[in-house]
Amino acid sequence: MTNSIVLTLLMSLPLVGVVVILFLPVFNNQTDFNIKFVANATAIITLLFSIAILPLYDMGVPTLQLEDTGSWIDALGVTYHVGVDGLSILMILLTTFISAVAIGSSWNGIDKQVKQYYIFMLLLETGMLGVFLAQDLFLFYIFWEFTLVPMYFLIGIWGGKERVYASIKFFLYTMAGSLLMLIAILYVGIQAGTFNLPELIANRELYAGAQQWLFWGFAIAFAIKVPVFPFHSWLPDAHTQAPTAGSIVLAGVLLKMGTYGFMRFNLPMFPEASTNAAPIMATLAIIGIIYGAIVSFAQTDVKKLVAYSSISHLGFVMLGIFSLNEIGIQGAILQGVNHGLSTGALFFLVGVIYEQRHTREISEFGGLWRAMPVFAVTSLIVTLSSMGLPGLNGFVGEFSILLASTGSDALGDSPWIYTAFATSGVILAAIYLLKMYQGVFMGPLDNPKNQALRDMNRGELAIMLSFLLFIVWIGIAPSIWFASMDATVADLIQNVVMMAGG
Amino acid sequence: MNVDYLMPYVPVAVLLGIALFLALLLPILSVSLGPKRPHFRKMQPYESGMTAVGKAQRRYPVKFYRVAVLFILFDIDIILIMPWAVALRDLGLFGLGAVMIFIAIFIIGDLWAWKKGLLEWD
Amino acid sequence: MEFQAPAINIAIILPVVIVAGFGLVLMILDMLMEDELRGLGPWISLGGLVLAGLQTIALWLGGSYETFIPVGGHPMVVVDGYAHFFNMLFIITGILAILMSMPYLIKADIDEKAEYYMLLMFSISGMMLMGMANDLLLIFIGLELLSIPLYVMCGIARPREASEESAMKYFLLGAFASGFLVFGLALLYGATGSTALPVVVENFTAGGVIAYTGLAMQLVGLAFKVGAVPFHMWTPDVYEGAPTAVTAFMSVGAKVGGFAAMIRILAEAVPQESAPIWTTAIAIIAAATLILGNVVAISQTNIKRMLAYSSIAHGGYILMAVAALPFSGDAVSASLTYMLTYMFTNLGAFAVIMMVEKSGNRGVLLEDYKGLSKRNLGMALILAYFMFSLIGMPLTGGFIGKFVVFQAAIDANLIWLTIIGVVTAAVSAYYYLRVVFYMFMFDGQGDLEFSPAMMTATTVALVATLAIGFFPGLWLNLARTASLASQLLMAGG
Repeated sequence: MTNSIVLTLLMSLPLVGVVVILFLPVFNNQTDFNIKFVANATAIITLLFSIAILPLYDMGVPTLQLEDTGSWIDALGVTYHVGVDGLSILMILLTTFISAVAIGSSWNGIDKQVKQYYIFMLLLETGMLGVFLAQDLFLFYIFWEFTLVPMYFLIGIWGGKERVYASIKFFLYTMAGSLLMLIAILYVGIQAGTFNLPELIANRELYAGAQQWLFWGFAIAFAIKVPVFPFHSWLPDAHTQAPTAGSIVLAGVLLKMGTYGFMRFNLPMFPEASTNAAPIMATLAIIGIIYGAIVSFAQTDVKKLVAYSSISHLGFVMLGIFSLNEIGIQGAILQGVNHGLSTGALFFLVGVIYEQRHTREISEFGGLWRAMPVFAVTSLIVTLSSMGLPGLNGFVGEFSILLASTGSDALGDSPWIYTAFATSGVILAAIYLLKMYQGVFMGPLDNPKNQALRDMNRGELAIMLSFLLFIVWIGIAPSIWFASMDATVADLIQNVVMMAGG
Repeated sequence: MNVDYLMPYVPVAVLLGIALFLALLLPILSVSLGPKRPHFRKMQPYESGMTAVGKAQRRYPVKFYRVAVLFILFDIDIILIMPWAVALRDLGLFGLGAVMIFIAIFIIGDLWAWKKGLLEWD
Repeated sequence: MEFQAPAINIAIILPVVIVAGFGLVLMILDMLMEDELRGLGPWISLGGLVLAGLQTIALWLGGSYETFIPVGGHPMVVVDGYAHFFNMLFIITGILAILMSMPYLIKADIDEKAEYYMLLMFSISGMMLMGMANDLLLIFIGLELLSIPLYVMCGIARPREASEESAMKYFLLGAFASGFLVFGLALLYGATGSTALPVVVENFTAGGVIAYTGLAMQLVGLAFKVGAVPFHMWTPDVYEGAPTAVTAFMSVGAKVGGFAAMIRILAEAVPQESAPIWTTAIAIIAAATLILGNVVAISQTNIKRMLAYSSIAHGGYILMAVAALPFSGDAVSASLTYMLTYMFTNLGAFAVIMMVEKSGNRGVLLEDYKGLSKRNLGMALILAYFMFSLIGMPLTGGFIGKFVVFQAAIDANLIWLTIIGVVTAAVSAYYYLRVVFYMFMFDGQGDLEFSPAMMTATTVALVATLAIGFFPGLWLNLARTASLASQLLMAGG
């Protein structure tokens, strides 16, 4: 197939940018226009390319498309295999979009080691694309681990005061989980004699005996990444210490790698174990939703508040996945995208104000509506989107997930209990987000430091508008987004239910 | 293991037993029965009647050590050449060649040690 | 009895003869032209190693697997793929160590340059003997030939006290270990009636408890050499005190040499039916080694000491593969792959460390790496890459090593050991990353001095680590062909 190269090409585009930047001389460490220009151009070209290949993607086909295969390590039975289907197509678009936005948003914010910064950002983009495209467990693991390295440097070099602590906590936490997954991957690989995902799914009876263990091997790695409730403690540190662009990418894409992993690997490879574990995972999801919301409410730091709200929002995604029905998975994927957009936008907005005030305490602000009207309006829309107001994107995802959980067969006799608790999370979200909004934008503009704040400039506004475009689009016309994943999700659910039921 | 095989050694064992018994008994008796009148002179280590000089744990020149190492080398040399000498005729030319290579390597080492001043005392 | 001259094929043991011969040549030259030699020593040694390497490659390609059969009918030396593989490993270690030593000896004010290279060559020839020995006696001789020069090399930075202390400690404990090895040898000989591995394996079961005791003693002796817990006590002090070039050489050469002999003994001198007994022991030692090495490394502030504990830990990963030996057809090739990656990564890391080190044993603390990336981004990135390889991050050689070792362990159903392996690997990330964050995330005066020889060594190590990380197929196949015959049988069947 002639189209087979496009995904490989997509993955390598950021690398081209890396190579170009490597050979660009550093004239001035403070503001190096060339490097910034190349990095932004690369990110935007990658975004455009990912949009350009959309016509090649056929929404009606449930299986992998645009596959590219090649031999890599024959000695280990490892192949190079990339492909895209309904589970990953939106993730690819989200990745290229968020990366472009994140790189664009760092134009003013990064003032040291500019060259290294953009190299790490672009490497991170390649890594994330690889995670979503890889269809071979070995290849997937390589990209999965690889994303740690640039993120570690991004937090550790360009982060806040506690950056070293946060970066190492992030690295160790995620790595410990991934290594357990490595054991499970190795076990599966040895039993089945291959690491190629479609073959593994086709031959799952070869390792089905150990699937209760294998499920948790994978699940813990993904749960740490999501993060699901007891594994979440790295997230607030990483988020608060990361630079703005780092937070955007972290919330926007990296967390989705965990939820994507559940859908891509756990469900099709271990359907019975997934069905068995569904109540546990759903309970943890509910705990995450409520815990995240309550802790968010208590935060005085805006960025920390948004970080904890991520735990709550990702709880919805997990609940959707482990409802184990079509609408749940679809809602989970879409809610993943929504969270990437609204939380990414929130982190961006926090970054805009932090650049000027170098503080994120809610008490330092108040009445910003007067000083920065455009900023306040866009913030309002994003905040409303994040709390799930109908007509904006958050509502679509959360509504599908709540709907899915009420009708879920996997969650026992009375799944509505899960729905009831999850719904309380929606209400709590409204409380803490409005409290934040009120504290920052409403009231009198009495802090003299805030009076001189400038409103958003054109570049920031452009980025914000691109966020808003998707926030509104998904909110008003979600059907095209659901359609993109419909076939694959139906196929996946059919497999899971058939295996687990029969 | 055959018990009969060990029978001739029984007298030796008996002798050893008696010796050990006496060797333990006599000191114990002298320590427990003898009168004790300690004195500074008596507490000194016995050095053939001379007054003791210095401590027992003192440093002594590394030269002795060097000589000892060289001695061991020659010693092993002899151990390895002896079996060859015993089977000299059987081993023939092959054995001669092998031992010559060995001696050559050894001589290089000796010469090196000589050159480095290992054989000089001062 | 009529004596028959044994069928000697000198060509197949030529690599080790060349290395030892060049050691002798250096000795003679040292006698004849003391002063002129100073600059020449390393180049002569390099020449000898390259020559030996070429001969090894020629033999390997020629498929010359004949054995060297002396009196008695059992080969003292087996020159199979396994031996070739280790010979190449030791020769490359030697070449890199010499490249690093050239600038380092000047920096560290070490005068005995001729002796240094001479000892290095003798030590390498000892290592090579351990890789090809098929007789317990020859393994012992190889071990002594490996160790005795190392004792001296550790103390060669006299009158620096740390160096002398290091030599003394290494010597005393090494001699102790040799004692164990000889005692084990004697017991095995008593129990089985021979020191030749093929005979030992035949009579092993009949040897009963004495044979097992002998085997245990042998393993204790070798465990000392590879620094496995609880026989690791000497490692940190010796590694810290010895001149860094010697530490680099020792941390790879002596350890790999010990494993070469250990794997050969366990695979060829012990029958399959006794496997459950010794694999349990090895697995426990491996677990203890992994835990202690990785956990204690966390609290180190001296980078040499940290790498000493790290090298203990890496010994643990190799031991994981050793414990899988009777149950997995890939265990030997996995351990060979691991040693290959460990060699390049560790030597590369030490090369950078030696560039950072200042004369007078300064510049070896983690503190001295603060802000290195500001002054030397390239070298900081290279050291970071080596650290990531030591952790076992993907796209580094270290990942491939860990991957195959874990694979072998899971294949042998040692799941609990594998879990300990991955958890300690995650722990190890902490102390390796500390070097990285000192370099990248702090401001400081960290700096280094370049030298062409050191750069060459670093480049070679870096390219090899990258090559293994990105294109592991070639290397894995190489290790697989070098696997032992008994393993190949198992993998095939």
